[in-house]
Amino acid sequence: MNLSEVTERISRKLEAKGAQPDRQKIESRLRRLVEEFGVNLTEAERTVTTDLAREYKVSGVGNTSAELRPISEIAAGEWVTIEGKVVALTPPVSPSIAQTGIIADSSGAIRFVTWARSNVPPMEFGQWYRIESAVVDNYKGAPNLKIHSGTTISRIDEDAPLLPSITPIADLKPGVGSVRAKVIQDWEVAHDRMLQTGLLGDESGTIKFVIWKDEEREKLELDTVYNIYYATVDEYNGRLSLVLNTAMYIADEGDIEVGRNETESYGAIVQVAPGSGLIKRCPVEGCNRTLSRQNYCPVHEIQPNFRYDLRIKAVLDDGNRARNVLMQREIVERLTGITLEEAIQIAETNPLGMDEIFYRVRNAVLGHYYSCSGNEFDGRLLVNSCSPMRFDPVKLAELLNRAGGEPA
Amino acid sequence: MRSQTAFEREPARRVFAAEFRETRYQFKDDDDEKSPTYVIFPTGIRSNRVFIVGTLTEKQRQGDQNVFYRGRVVDPTGTFFIMAGSYQPEAMQQLARIEPPAFVAVVGKPNIYTTQDGNHLVSVRTESITVVDRETRDLWVLDTARATLDRLDAFGTTDDARKAMDEYGTEVPHVYRKIVYDALTQVQM
Repeated sequence: MNLSEVTERISRKLEAKGAQPDRQKIESRLRRLVEEFGVNLTEAERTVTTDLAREYKVSGVGNTSAELRPISEIAAGEWVTIEGKVVALTPPVSPSIAQTGIIADSSGAIRFVTWARSNVPPMEFGQWYRIESAVVDNYKGAPNLKIHSGTTISRIDEDAPLLPSITPIADLKPGVGSVRAKVIQDWEVAHDRMLQTGLLGDESGTIKFVIWKDEEREKLELDTVYNIYYATVDEYNGRLSLVLNTAMYIADEGDIEVGRNETESYGAIVQVAPGSGLIKRCPVEGCNRTLSRQNYCPVHEIQPNFRYDLRIKAVLDDGNRARNVLMQREIVERLTGITLEEAIQIAETNPLGMDEIFYRVRNAVLGHYYSCSGNEFDGRLLVNSCSPMRFDPVKLAELLNRAGGEPA
Repeated sequence: MRSQTAFEREPARRVFAAEFRETRYQFKDDDDEKSPTYVIFPTGIRSNRVFIVGTLTEKQRQGDQNVFYRGRVVDPTGTFFIMAGSYQPEAMQQLARIEPPAFVAVVGKPNIYTTQDGNHLVSVRTESITVVDRETRDLWVLDTARATLDRLDAFGTTDDARKAMDEYGTEVPHVYRKIVYDALTQVQM
């Protein structure tokens, strides 16, 4: 740390409050205190900052950043000093960034970014640091700690065990989160760089997770409970997902009764969309895209060794809201009474081919009432269970009372 | 204002034939050519799509060059007139295949035609029609009764319901509560 760095930091703080300090003046005051009066630099900084703040009539400078704050309490727009342990380091996404990762204390964790221009020494994974005068801003809906040229980082010798606090899935917010959850679904990955994706659940609900390919990452086992520390909670289109590349995850002996925060929806099927019925899927591992009639996959081109599948893309409408629903093979088989094997046989022998299955599926479900539940993604209900609605004489009696209950 | 970013499909409203037949208020939300045309039902809700279930009692093929089908679908309160023309080829082929009498579920757009002497002919331009069973018909009567009663409970309190009150009068709740009751009594316990 030298005088010009401190000068820079003080003037930035004052500028952030709307003042226009003279850097030469700051530096000469610092120099005077340090060189003539033997004041140590930290104390000199504090003195000059408070003096100038008074001169420029700004408040909230000085003490605020020097005061140690628990990570869980800091908010966007603040200058802060924290002490924490580097619990994750992630590859920087841009050359202007030197380091990104997560720093945690006993109260919580926050993502940080160190700008390449800041010239601060890189932090090491697993070490504790004191970070002074960093700025908190908001990045993709989550607080983010920015380490810039005015920030001081000093390594501290602390080896306090750090136990992250576990958050129920339903209470996660964008940023960093630790959960204890069970892998309840393992989806086929749709991207070359993706190692694994699926659904995690705990008592409070479920959340999508993603692990991107990198050397040290291992896949999660289906139906296993994990303690997942310091995962990144992302928000996209109002939905949260958990990225485990920043996280440590350890399998746990116990079991969890997963709470279903499923959406339940009932109504009549008012449209069965093209692409329902018997479809062909790309056989390339991890692709699974729907092929065109000519067996063309948008990525892997012609795939003569496709595999067949059944699905329904439909609109379930309760009279007030029309909701897109997507039903997978097992549900289609149950609702239509046509198995995949039968559908393949019909399609291969009937002159209408796959169209015949579309018509049969459509005629079986269109105009009928169903009660479906599932998870909502991209404005579409992915149906986990669905059953035809049954006539209920109790409902009839209730409605008769309601209609006749008031003087006609 | 409707969201410009996400397209939301118009819900298919549930309405009894007796109410549908009386509909005469039609409007567009704005002047844009592509903006949907709505009707407002007497019980006070806008609609540019309906879902009806009833008995197809009659169908007729009409026209030579421009073939289209007409049909009558009966519910416990009255009759819906449905049409399917060459602009709805799927619906037309579906209807061509169905032999009355049959329970059918119809999704379509309400359409009001005013004759020269000032009468209103209200019909459904069919988007799809499929054969269903009696249980689906009964479920629909309950569903439509519930939806109609919900609208009557809110009568005069929403923008659409206030327009309906101006257009169709204040007697609406009285009249339609009775229609709902009579419809329900025709469903077997």
